[in-house]
Amino acid sequence: MLEEGPGSHSGGQLGPVSGAIGMMTKQQGDDSSPRPQYSMPGILHFLQTEWARFEMERSQWEVERAELQARIAFLKGERKGQENLKQDLVRRIKMLEFALKQERAKYHKLKYGTDLNQEDLKPPILDKKDGAEEPVDGEVLPSNSNTWRQGRHLLRQYLQEIGYTDTIIDVRSARVRSLLGLQSHVAESEADAAQSALVQMNGDISGKRAPDQGKASTGKKVPASLVDSALLDSEASVLATLDFLGPDGVDDEEENLSDEEDGLNIDEEAEMKLVKKMPKVKNVDGIGIDDDAETEEALAEFDFLVAESEDGAGEARSHGDGPDWEKKDSDEWSVDQQLIAKLKDQYKKERKGKKSRPNRSTLQAMLANLGDDDDTPSSSSSSNQAGAASGSPTRNSSTENSMSEVDESGVQGSITFSSSESKRNVMGVSGPDDEAIEAALGLGGLGELADLTVSNEADPLTYDISAPKEVFRKTWNAKYTLRSHFDGVRSLAFHPVEPVLITASEDHTLKLWNLQKTVPAKKAASLDVEPVYTFRAHIGPVLCLAVSASGEQCYSGGIDSTIRCWNIPNSNIDPYDSFDSGVLSDTLVAHTDAVCGLAVHNSKPQLLSCSSDGTVRLWSPGTKTPLLNSFTPENEKGVPSSVDFVTCDPSQMVASYTSSNAYIFDLETGKQITALESNFTSEGKNQINCVVNHPTLPVSIAAYEDRHIRFFDNSTGKMIHSMVAHLEAVTSLAVDPNGLYLLSGSHDCSIRLWNLDSKTCVQEITAHRKKFDESIHAVAFHPSKPYIASAGADALAKVFV
Amino acid sequence: MAIDVAAMKIKMADSTSAVVRRNRPGTKAEEWSSWSDETYEEMDSTLAVQQYIQQAIRKDFSNVEEILTPPDGVDEGVWKYEHLRQFCMELNGICVKLQNECNPEQCTQMTATEQWIFLCAAHKTPKECPAIDYTRHTLDGAACLLNSNKYFPSRVCIKESSVNKLGSVCRRVYRIFSHAYFHHRALFDEYENETCLCKRFTVFVTKYNLMSKDNLIVPILEDSNTIDGESEA
Repeated sequence: MLEEGPGSHSGGQLGPVSGAIGMMTKQQGDDSSPRPQYSMPGILHFLQTEWARFEMERSQWEVERAELQARIAFLKGERKGQENLKQDLVRRIKMLEFALKQERAKYHKLKYGTDLNQEDLKPPILDKKDGAEEPVDGEVLPSNSNTWRQGRHLLRQYLQEIGYTDTIIDVRSARVRSLLGLQSHVAESEADAAQSALVQMNGDISGKRAPDQGKASTGKKVPASLVDSALLDSEASVLATLDFLGPDGVDDEEENLSDEEDGLNIDEEAEMKLVKKMPKVKNVDGIGIDDDAETEEALAEFDFLVAESEDGAGEARSHGDGPDWEKKDSDEWSVDQQLIAKLKDQYKKERKGKKSRPNRSTLQAMLANLGDDDDTPSSSSSSNQAGAASGSPTRNSSTENSMSEVDESGVQGSITFSSSESKRNVMGVSGPDDEAIEAALGLGGLGELADLTVSNEADPLTYDISAPKEVFRKTWNAKYTLRSHFDGVRSLAFHPVEPVLITASEDHTLKLWNLQKTVPAKKAASLDVEPVYTFRAHIGPVLCLAVSASGEQCYSGGIDSTIRCWNIPNSNIDPYDSFDSGVLSDTLVAHTDAVCGLAVHNSKPQLLSCSSDGTVRLWSPGTKTPLLNSFTPENEKGVPSSVDFVTCDPSQMVASYTSSNAYIFDLETGKQITALESNFTSEGKNQINCVVNHPTLPVSIAAYEDRHIRFFDNSTGKMIHSMVAHLEAVTSLAVDPNGLYLLSGSHDCSIRLWNLDSKTCVQEITAHRKKFDESIHAVAFHPSKPYIASAGADALAKVFV
Repeated sequence: MAIDVAAMKIKMADSTSAVVRRNRPGTKAEEWSSWSDETYEEMDSTLAVQQYIQQAIRKDFSNVEEILTPPDGVDEGVWKYEHLRQFCMELNGICVKLQNECNPEQCTQMTATEQWIFLCAAHKTPKECPAIDYTRHTLDGAACLLNSNKYFPSRVCIKESSVNKLGSVCRRVYRIFSHAYFHHRALFDEYENETCLCKRFTVFVTKYNLMSKDNLIVPILEDSNTIDGESEA
């Protein structure tokens, strides 16, 4: 310490203080001016003062050292506190996961009638049951199971609310287990304790069970509230780290499952009793008991959790007190000193890894650990885990795999994505890191999840990844079937904000649908929706439809060559309300043949229409002279088939023709600016069925009768990319609001989702049946909600979530 | 260009040899569905019956007999069901016309002759809706019923219990004809000239015994000489 002192302080303090050199200067200074005689007392006095100064200095350093040590201790304590908190959360997660696994097993059992190794799941409970059976009276039990069901329901609601789905829990817990695994290599005692927590807890329960049972329902209400508080607790903590997930952002298959479960809850409860009766015919009470056992167990779990969390919180608080720490350390943690050191190392490593963008090797090491851990502890140390794990081994392993794939590439992907590089990729054919982007965006669901588990703190990086793809990384499943049209649905459009859409059909009508007003379906996976309003005015088939950016008006074009402007009624209107002639606000007449395409401007009240009479017209609906302009390209033999505004340049629009040509026009002058070069010298009759503009890039995308989708650069008119997209004519296109995905519909009965970066098909859904040689007429993305929809010649429209 | 045109002609020839029955965007109104007929046997889609009916109507809407003659091998329930769908769909046309003419102030109730006031069954308790509302509600209700997943989950085979529902739909829908006939005669005649819908409907319900003769109050089938029958009444 003393040796250090001068070195570290010489810069700050003056010469005399710092020892020999200082003395020299002093002496020289003394020598130079009055030149006094060296006297013995003088020297002694000097030495004494010097000594005193050194002593003082030393004591100062001592103090400083003590302070620093205290600080170190404080920080250590704080870190340990965090560690404990983390441990605590981990335990809680394990509890939740366990509860969910049981839930799933139960669900499985209900669904398929077979046990999902349920016995392995909870051996102590089964033992318990026998003992508990006698004092129980059957009447009370149903209410118990009710509380449990309510609790479970609450739990599920909370989890859904915070977007904390089964999958995440799985992945997270897997990750967490890997952390525990790491520790178990280092300090077995700790890991063992954590791993066997469940077992031990169950053991506790078995002790408590009998009296609890005696207390019956009143006794159980208290735990129920504890469950709530535990849930709230965990919700808060989970929200802290996961809030970027958003309330409805995550929609994995798992969640859909639970969604359905929710929907069918009533049915299921009825069924539940039936199913359970079958294996246990001889003991009717068994039904209740079974449920009750689970109730008990789950509640006990949460008891444990609450206790844990309180402990954790207490510890955290006490560490916050700082200087007092040392004492507490010796009291509470002296045993763990070694562990702390090791944890510290590990923690440091982790931090490092996080900061410096995890390199592959560390990640792989982590993943290897994860792999180890999933297998070993679950089979050996904890029988509970074994049961749960064996219930879904394939899923676990697949999760790992995709984690390993995605974890890193997800990170890369996010980086490249935010850079301008990706723009070029969207335009160009394909870039080198397309795969990375694909990983991050396409199947990136797990990428994000994996990331999420790696970083406990809210890392800005995760925001980068999650923000753009949040909604679109999942697979889409049919959820709503819109049946009420009598003939093919030609077009559909979503409300800009509400979960509301409008369909236009060959049965001469348009219908307004509110997806929140569903008809309770029996068992079907998809919900039926009945229309809330039917728009009647067209004579003959309605061919096209567009909804204004405000969502207040919609426009429809029909074979009767009129364009009708409608005020969209409130989506909560009574379907059998009296007729309001004000819904039809205007009729635009100028076309002389079928109106086959419409598009609305996203900021101005302008409407584009194209008609089989060969013209494209620009309208300003609601004004005295609504017709603003007409467009006819030179040397064009075909008739327009589709129109769209150019999003990047609001003064332009693109129109496609049945001749397979497409042009970009200036809206003001009506002049043709660019012709999109399609180069079909030999193709002949290959009309464009639909043309759309990319929401953020100067790119036009066209759907062709010859099964192709082609991409064009708006400024040069050159074709950027061409791909065979379907087995039959491509009829319709829609680009998602973020510009990352393209949806196409075709007469081959399928809709396909394309990643615009890699131009690869992400998902295909067979959606509609054929009528004549037509199948799918239109597809659409909801502008702000995760819905897609398709309209078919089979008179149905479907909405996917 | 010349090559272009030639190529196009070849292509056209190709496509006519294997007719692709599509109304693509850009199809002119008069060319709509103007493809060559297909026999019922050749139709391989699940909506063959609807295709067949629509094809027959397009061919000659006034040839009621032919339109109502089922091809071999069609399930009668499906045949009736698809026809009723087609009727309800085409009734939109008369509804559109009525919207312009039949206002709730004049026709405050759904009546045909003075004998009956029809109550709208679309509501929880049947209600005396004005005629135009009755018309709209009945069509909307029919659309929901005929598309209901519960009663008509399939358009290929139909449960016997659901076939029984068709009669009540017919009865309600027929009142639209009768109201138009007795209160908006000019409109009715115009529409009947364009579509022969009432005549077809009357023949249909008679043929399949979906309504009792007493209820068929529009005198349109008098010795199948419709024009005389109408002018007399």
